[in-house]
Amino acid sequence: MTAEAARLNAPEALERSRDLLGKLARDLTISDWHLVIEVRPGDLPEVALRLRDDEKLSCKYLSCIIGVDYMDWMEALYLLRSQDHSVPIRIRVRLDREKPEVPSVAYIWSAANWHERESYDFFGIRFLGHPDLRRILTREDYDTHPMKKDARPHRVRRTEWQWENLGKPLRLPGEPERSNRS
Amino acid sequence: MSSTEELMGPGHPEFHLEEMVLNMGPQHPSTHGVLRLVLHLDGELVVSVEPQLGYLHRGFEKLAENRTYLQYLAMISRLDYLSGFFMEWSYVRSVEAMMRLEVPKRAEYIRVIIGELNRIISHHIAFGDFLMNLGASTPFVWAFRDREDVYDLLEMVTGQRMMYNYMRIGGVRWDLPDGFEERCRKFLKGFPSKVDEYEKLVTENEIFLSRTLGMGIIKPFEALDYGISGPNARASGVDWDLRRETGYSVYPEFDFKVPLGEHGDCFDRYKCRIEEMRESAKIIEQALDALCGGPVNLKIPPMVRPPAGDIYRAVETPRGEFGVYLVSNGGLRPWRLKLRDPTFSAISMIPKLTAGNKIADLVAIAGSLDLIMGGVDR
Repeated sequence: MTAEAARLNAPEALERSRDLLGKLARDLTISDWHLVIEVRPGDLPEVALRLRDDEKLSCKYLSCIIGVDYMDWMEALYLLRSQDHSVPIRIRVRLDREKPEVPSVAYIWSAANWHERESYDFFGIRFLGHPDLRRILTREDYDTHPMKKDARPHRVRRTEWQWENLGKPLRLPGEPERSNRS
Repeated sequence: MSSTEELMGPGHPEFHLEEMVLNMGPQHPSTHGVLRLVLHLDGELVVSVEPQLGYLHRGFEKLAENRTYLQYLAMISRLDYLSGFFMEWSYVRSVEAMMRLEVPKRAEYIRVIIGELNRIISHHIAFGDFLMNLGASTPFVWAFRDREDVYDLLEMVTGQRMMYNYMRIGGVRWDLPDGFEERCRKFLKGFPSKVDEYEKLVTENEIFLSRTLGMGIIKPFEALDYGISGPNARASGVDWDLRRETGYSVYPEFDFKVPLGEHGDCFDRYKCRIEEMRESAKIIEQALDALCGGPVNLKIPPMVRPPAGDIYRAVETPRGEFGVYLVSNGGLRPWRLKLRDPTFSAISMIPKLTAGNKIADLVAIAGSLDLIMGGVDR
């Protein structure tokens, strides 16, 4: 789409998405020239598909997925952009902090695959239906989701044999025992 | 039937061709840092690739939550060490937007000048390393030779060669030193002929063409689907440059082209970067002409408290869209800081691009995507 007239501005995008989503959107606002759409976790795939396939909004590009821990609840944010207009769109999904679960959108945008893995890694958000939900940046056997506000730093376990071996000073046969080597 | 099969018979165990698993990286010169690729190979053909990340994970996002806004500025240029200036830029833009600060005009021009110089040296590495991956070592040395000139300029301004820490919330740290403008203009005068030299050496080289033409094709819709941005997407013909689209800083004042490719193969990605180097030089020249007087920062106190809220700001780095999503609760430290890195998306496309190609082509494709692991692993 090249014609400048076809470009949407934020209020038009708001109107368009109101028509498009109807009751699926819990809340529609413009904040900081972004269009923010709040949806329930269950409605996310439907909303995502409609936004992607609409010819005016056409959000073909998923910039990233952001997890935020607000202590009382968790949030998954989806930053979308379109190459046809310059209104960035955010989908905001509020999640239960005890059991953060949201349907995966990896089949709608391929970019979501790794970004969902990252949010799972950092926040423990479970993306239902994700093809391969594993940790991506931290160790596979890491015991916590480190970006949660109540996560405590991982404690390094030292095994016994390491202490024994490291504790003995290295001494050649016949060498006198030295108390402190610098 | 091959000759060995005739000799030994078809039932010989040597012919049970099994898929071989080979680890490429984390210490491998062509993975540009500590990317580990688990290759499943059938002979020399790549059946599937599984990138393993996290060898450089330093917890940048978590560390931000324990630092004041100014303290974190010293860290963030370590993120993507080849284009550290853009990381700082994106971060200060989001904090400035949060605090509703109007940055002095002169500071914006200085940011553009330093930023575009940084883009040039980053593309130097992209160019040199890509050809190094293909087995040509001369362009690599040439790129490093010419980077030194820019490093001298950057050192003159910021005091550092790589980790600049030159941005401040509400401007830059200090003004340009005396004599910078002349030296910069002298550099710009000689720069186009150096790019011509690179092109003369590489662009029409037979071996280079046969290794890169039609290799690792990204279609435009695939580029969008995988969240690829920057020169990688523009090589596929996606006409999208944040400098032009969102018009941040003083970019709308400048006249520059956004180079586009047609086919989205390795050659187009190389060509796009070369053209962008020329365009960057043009932008710097215009910015030097337009440079006005005035203060270079707003003298913000070191302990800033942005109001509660959230904000996302992105800049066009040499690798694409780098964004910072900032959540503040009105305190001294960010509540949440998310860094969106363009290379993260580019790497997620490697399995799709390389399956079915030879290992040597995998190296070419990975080189053409210009991967830097510092930003990916965060």
